[in-house]
Amino acid sequence: MGGDLDSFNQLVLRWERPIYALAYRVIGREEDARDVAQETFLRAFRALKGFKGQAKFSSWLYRITLNLCRDWIRRERRTPLVQAPEGVDVIELAGEETPSETVEELVSRHELGRAVAKAMSQLPEEQRTAIILKEYHGLTFQEIADLLDCPLSTVKTRLYQGLTVLRKQLREAGVESTFGK
Amino acid sequence: MTGCTPAGRIDMCDSKELLVSFLYDEIDPVAKRDFQKHLSTCVECRDELAELGATRAQIATWTPPDADLGFRIIREAESPKRRWFQWSPAWGFAAAAVVLLSISAAIANLHISYGSEGLTVRTGWNHATETQPGVTAVDWKAKAQELDRRVLDLEQAQSQQSVVRTASASDLSEQRVREIVGQSETRQQRLVSARLAEMMREYDAQRRLDLVSIGQGMTRLQNSSGADLKQTKDLLQRYLVRTALEEKEEK
Repeated sequence: MGGDLDSFNQLVLRWERPIYALAYRVIGREEDARDVAQETFLRAFRALKGFKGQAKFSSWLYRITLNLCRDWIRRERRTPLVQAPEGVDVIELAGEETPSETVEELVSRHELGRAVAKAMSQLPEEQRTAIILKEYHGLTFQEIADLLDCPLSTVKTRLYQGLTVLRKQLREAGVESTFGK
Repeated sequence: MTGCTPAGRIDMCDSKELLVSFLYDEIDPVAKRDFQKHLSTCVECRDELAELGATRAQIATWTPPDADLGFRIIREAESPKRRWFQWSPAWGFAAAAVVLLSISAAIANLHISYGSEGLTVRTGWNHATETQPGVTAVDWKAKAQELDRRVLDLEQAQSQQSVVRTASASDLSEQRVREIVGQSETRQQRLVSARLAEMMREYDAQRRLDLVSIGQGMTRLQNSSGADLKQTKDLLQRYLVRTALEEKEEK
């Protein structure tokens, strides 16, 4: 059992950031997302014997996380609200700066992130979850359909509708697109 | 999805699923080629595709805040039996000392009395009677002397009767006494060993709990320090942002 524990902790180390990121983007609260991530691994460990490997381990973790997020949303009875930071952390951003990126561009990118967070928080849960799984976790349409227990076509529709709403909201927020035509 | 015929064009423009499949490049090669052909002639679909692509690039900028994670699953220490009071190492040592003293006293047959002669502590199994309340030291000495005398008389009488006692009877009695003493000692040793083992288990369990408690305390302390650091950092960050904004306004 000690070996099991060590092996599982290796998996925790590998997946804790993606799981935390998923929880944060779905429920939008840092501390609660941390709790959800922690509970995810605890539940996964307890149910490890029941995991037969019919799904990818990551998909299994994602499913547990999403269930916990749904529980959290029901329990809190409120729409997830992303806590956008008050200001720009210039010190942290400086570490991210690439040679081709000026400070203005860096700040602009950070502000864009805040605008996206706000727009995402206003999406319906189904659309938001589909976009998060696709954009930030790179799941295929089929994997998302399996996770959300819905047809493939529904996943594509949710993605299309979600992206369309986001595009509109970002435009209204004054975020100019540098791509396109 | 057969090309740019009017009917095909309408289908493709209406099929948002196809657009999304193309956008994420999760589309079979034939459908992809057909849609590319469609895009070359349909400005609306091309624009929409570009807009959605731009939106995808924008939402990629959203990153969660850094969090101190480092989760680890640990096995819970074996929980000891609940007691009406909380054990601590000091309690354990004190209890162990009391139990050892009691056992030693029992083995040594310790007698403690307090009378007119003051405090009397006596050990061993040789004394025949216990001190009775109200019996003075003088009375006790007299009685002891009388008893000794009677025993002496009895021994003399026995020797005078020339009774031949068989060696076997004498040996049997001695052997029986040894057996009883041996059994008693074995029983005492078992009791002491069992009690000591139980005490060691309790002490070990308590030690583990204390270590866990200390670990949790250290974690809380570290978290607290982290929170202070974060608060300081946030304040600095706000100051920097405010300064940056003021400079921007001045410009």
